[in-house]
Amino acid sequence: MSSTDSNNRLHTTALSGQTLCVTGVLLPGNEQPQDITIVDGAISSIDASGTRTADNIETIDAHGCHAYPGLIDLYSRCREPGLTRKGNIATESIAALSAGFTTVLCSPDTLPAVDSVATVELINHRSMNVRGGARIIPMAALTIGLDGEQLSELATLKAAGCPVASQADRPIENTTVLYSAMEYASSFDMPLLLCARDAQLGVDGCAHTGAVATQLGLPTIPVAAETVALTRLVELCSETQVRLHISRVSSARALRIIKDAKAAGLPITCDVGIHHLFFIDEYLAGYDASFHSAVPFRSADDRQALRDGLSSGVIDAVCSDHAPHDVDAGLAPFPVTEPGLAAYDWFMPLLLQLPQITGLDLDALMKKLHDVPADILGQQSGSGISVGGAANFFVLDKHVTCNVQPSITLSAGSNNPLALHDAKALSLSPLKGAVTLSFCDGWATRFNVNS
Amino acid sequence: MSLPDPQFNAAGTLQHFIDLQGLDADTLTRILDTAEGFTGINDRKIKQVPLLRGKTVANLFFENSTRTRTAFELAAKRLSADILNIDLVTSSTSKGESLLDTLRVLESLQCDMFIVRHADSGAAHFIARHVAPHINIINGGDGQHSHPTQGMLDVFTIRRHKGDFSNLCVVIIGDIKHSRVARSDIAALTILGAGEVRVVGPKTLMPSDVESMNVKVFSSLDTALKGADVIISLRLQKERMKNATVPSSGEFYRTYGLSPQRLALAKPDALVMHPGPTNRGVEIAGSVADGAQSVILEQVTYGIAVRMAVMSIIMGNSDAMSASRISNNTTTTDAQL
Repeated sequence: MSSTDSNNRLHTTALSGQTLCVTGVLLPGNEQPQDITIVDGAISSIDASGTRTADNIETIDAHGCHAYPGLIDLYSRCREPGLTRKGNIATESIAALSAGFTTVLCSPDTLPAVDSVATVELINHRSMNVRGGARIIPMAALTIGLDGEQLSELATLKAAGCPVASQADRPIENTTVLYSAMEYASSFDMPLLLCARDAQLGVDGCAHTGAVATQLGLPTIPVAAETVALTRLVELCSETQVRLHISRVSSARALRIIKDAKAAGLPITCDVGIHHLFFIDEYLAGYDASFHSAVPFRSADDRQALRDGLSSGVIDAVCSDHAPHDVDAGLAPFPVTEPGLAAYDWFMPLLLQLPQITGLDLDALMKKLHDVPADILGQQSGSGISVGGAANFFVLDKHVTCNVQPSITLSAGSNNPLALHDAKALSLSPLKGAVTLSFCDGWATRFNVNS
Repeated sequence: MSLPDPQFNAAGTLQHFIDLQGLDADTLTRILDTAEGFTGINDRKIKQVPLLRGKTVANLFFENSTRTRTAFELAAKRLSADILNIDLVTSSTSKGESLLDTLRVLESLQCDMFIVRHADSGAAHFIARHVAPHINIINGGDGQHSHPTQGMLDVFTIRRHKGDFSNLCVVIIGDIKHSRVARSDIAALTILGAGEVRVVGPKTLMPSDVESMNVKVFSSLDTALKGADVIISLRLQKERMKNATVPSSGEFYRTYGLSPQRLALAKPDALVMHPGPTNRGVEIAGSVADGAQSVILEQVTYGIAVRMAVMSIIMGNSDAMSASRISNNTTTTDAQL
């Protein structure tokens, strides 16, 4: 069983009953090309390339390419249910796959929010029915309707398939509720994934507090909106010992707080959205709404601190913060455009620029998108590409020129500055690199990267 | 990197008038000189010139305004344009129509120029980027960002009284943070080379990194007023008392109100200005607003000449552009957007 999408951008094949060999591919930590044989969706052998003669099985030539375990996205939005004019599980899970992800944690800020088993089952069902496509894992809404008042049925939601609970971008204002939520979640060893933002400070803002917002007359979000909230989360974590993952850190001062909390032995991890490692508030000049992000792009110093934090290990992981939108969401004066960037179609070429700016090598970087998220999800980490294991990996061509056409992105949203500006104008190196092949949950998907 | 300035057309001339930032001293001076020529029109028997005859100007006010709208209306009429006043505060937007849809409908009314006021910063930029190429946009105030014709009429008033800008010390008092007038005044004065621009107010009313706009920041009004040639008092909105920005209008007057005693700290010939409407006894004493140094009502009068200048220059550029388009027989219209 196989199929090709209407724009001829990818071709998907079921692995059930099939034998397939990916030849000449480079694995992490090994400079010798390998042949990976996949039988019935599982890796049956990994051999030095060419040492075993393939007997009449289908081969895919991957010489010069790298294979990595399927990445895990710690924060994304598929917009389903309820916001399907912006995207859906079918489109976004395929787009995620093209970015190297095979597992995607989805924000609970759907309509309705992910606060009932019915919604979890709907998402799971839709995800299972996508041919290929990254596995979509819904996060539980920590409170009913994300209203910050009444706790969701966390134990029930965990049993239904939500390994993590989150408040999306809606802070819990009532400290008693937040304290209680942490205690309750920790009873079931359920990690919380929370974004540090104050419920009042900067709540009407749409840009980092600084000279750029002052000149543009935009309402602002000060760094203190993040650090005040973060300090509160850290203190409550210290008291409740809940496993706490701080989602999408944006400032140098926030990183200092997290560094201290980790040094004190608290069970805290954190991530950064990929775009925050590249973009800063200066890019908003001229009211460019493609840079409107709920977690604002801050100063050049903050960006440098985020890059340093990634290489030093204060930042544990990188997420996409993928937020696809319909075109109308961006057709308004800047403050009333809907915030968020669609990340997936440009994710891999951006990721491949991180070694140059952080000093981390690519293998170490890929671990931050696999091992750490796997720990948070309570999955077994390890190499992920091993004999006997399910085929759950992707093949990366680092050198192919990335030429995304905004009119035919795989994501339903093309709301990204790179759809409007060329890389050089954004102080980026030329965009290179693409996932050419991905194995996920019994499917092989080949991406036509030159189409 | 940033998006291109939407004010300029392909020929590099001003197609829209949205933001003083990005304009040069020559452009501003040309507007002031043109406005100078229009000031005499009030003394004529027939207060009209035919520069915009046959053109239709639409006032699109998405936010309430009486003064600015009236001044634009009068300016358009004196230029012999037809003027439409479209009240958008209570109509389309409240019915859920998007700004872009509203714009398309108004384009279909075959107007030549839109005067736009909107509560969101950046609204005029947005409209200029999306409007049909034959329409000119003049920003009548967008959120907290810009009110360029107010900025121009303020520097016009100052030039009339003081001549040269280079030796002037201008003090702007009060709510700088939320004021589009302050931002446009600062821009206009800086571009025209004013000697020193000071801003003064409590930190709650001062935007972050305001020094980046080439101003000196003061928190004491008494200190700021020393040596001032021009004093611009800004309106304090009543809602500032609600969200813990300022404790009360009484305290504001005691600390930042322009009283006769404080005015005496400035140079004896200092001008007193205010964009209106004034809150007497809040940001300015009634006796100062009505006093000999006040030019507040002159500002209103000059506002008409300045807006006539802006409208005629913009429309002139646009007509020249259309003429060249026809003569070159090019088909650049759609491609420009």
